[in-house]
Amino acid sequence: MIASFLATHGFVDPTYLFLIDFPFEREYVQSIVWVSLYVSLIAVALSTLFSLAIAMTVGFAEFRGKGFVVALINTGMGFPSVVVGLVVLFAVSNQGPLGTFNLVFTREAMIMSQFVLATPVITGVSLAAVTSVDEGVRDAAYVMGGTRIDVALVVLKDARYGIMTAILAGLGRAISEVGSVLIVGGNIVSDGTSVTRTLTTAIQLEARQGRFETAMLLGAILVVLVLVINGIVLRLGGGRV
Amino acid sequence: MTDQLAPSTSAHQRLECEGVSHGFDENRVLDAVTVGVDPGEILAIIGPSGTGKSTLLRIMAMYHAPESGTVRVADRDVWSLTEQERLSIRRRVGMVFQEANLFDASVRQNVNYGPRIRKQWRERFREMLPLTTNGSATVTEQLELVDMGGTEQRHVSSLSGGEAQRIAFARAMAYEPDFLLLDEPTSDLDPRNTAVIEDAVKAARDADIAIAFATHDMHQAERLADRVAVMIDGKLIEVGPTERVFTNPDDGRTQKFIDGELVY
Repeated sequence: MIASFLATHGFVDPTYLFLIDFPFEREYVQSIVWVSLYVSLIAVALSTLFSLAIAMTVGFAEFRGKGFVVALINTGMGFPSVVVGLVVLFAVSNQGPLGTFNLVFTREAMIMSQFVLATPVITGVSLAAVTSVDEGVRDAAYVMGGTRIDVALVVLKDARYGIMTAILAGLGRAISEVGSVLIVGGNIVSDGTSVTRTLTTAIQLEARQGRFETAMLLGAILVVLVLVINGIVLRLGGGRV
Repeated sequence: MTDQLAPSTSAHQRLECEGVSHGFDENRVLDAVTVGVDPGEILAIIGPSGTGKSTLLRIMAMYHAPESGTVRVADRDVWSLTEQERLSIRRRVGMVFQEANLFDASVRQNVNYGPRIRKQWRERFREMLPLTTNGSATVTEQLELVDMGGTEQRHVSSLSGGEAQRIAFARAMAYEPDFLLLDEPTSDLDPRNTAVIEDAVKAARDADIAIAFATHDMHQAERLADRVAVMIDGKLIEVGPTERVFTNPDDGRTQKFIDGELVY
């Protein structure tokens, strides 16, 4: 009944979705989703730790060249992902400094490239958040007997909504990335399961092969994933992100 | 000007500055200031705006070191101590600013902050667990002192300016400091909130806490203080018992300031 209602009103009959001739198994899709989440979440988690340390240091320390460092971070936010992929591929290749670790076309290399892409975004937005915390709040924490760690924790807590926004922005950049993960990961599938294929690289492949329905289905899965992650973070942030 | 008229009570609990100067040349904020405060005493630091009162209080709070001179607590030069030793002395000092400077959290979390950071990390992590109500007795007691009982669960964003300042006072008192420094804590408050804070300050004096507060409200200084220190242009020009300073000051500028003739 719902299907006929949708069909008569110009929508796609949902039962049609199940009639799509999928060129892959459910395990294949699950493995792609898993690789996407695995690579992006680890990269963003590592980047968050690194970025918060940088943001706190740059935000509160006075040193020569501070303006240049802030400009560098802001420039990094718009850094072309293909170039990042190229640099990471060189770094992990036989000629590169990390060549001995055999990381070419591995998830670890993809994590590295996403880390590089997410870090300026998370650092830049976090830096804006921590420096916007009222100086009086820091003073209060200090004069009440706070150590440097206590004062830093107060600042991080007061800046938590901005920091969550930073993490979401970094995650958005990482999970929707195509260029660098394609270069360093290689878009590899083995025995019907993804090794380094992510949702974005799979969509790119399907679209190039003219399978638009499957590409759009994978796209929908990606959008839902991002929505769910945003929802979780929003919930953790008390709805104020 | 030296603090010759300071009471001779137990020197070991005294918080004092000796010959403290801060800032250079035309930016000199404090110039060889010597002043101290004893347990159970209220010292008012009065003077026109921008005369160095806040800087003096910050130096007394060990917020930063003076460029010359010494700050002593219990006869120990705090800036010759290790950071850890100084931390233990800093933790005996409470301070309230002109702005409430509350953390973005509940009233309870704000007031409980001082006691919490004095605990071991294991205990602090344990208190983060749900349903843990540590510190609530102290919090309740301090809130009642400033007539804010029953507000533990309110978020600070729901407080008025006067209520926020009363919470800031309760927060500074919650870890039972030996010294309390107040930087114009009532300058933005209405008479009702001012009266609550003043009563709490008197209660703190009765609890043998040494209190120094900066104000440009001479009536408040006269109402509250046992001694008054007058600052003009970074210099301490006069220190003495409140009644004597207000009725028979040694320095002509003090009389002019009290009479409102000293225009800045």
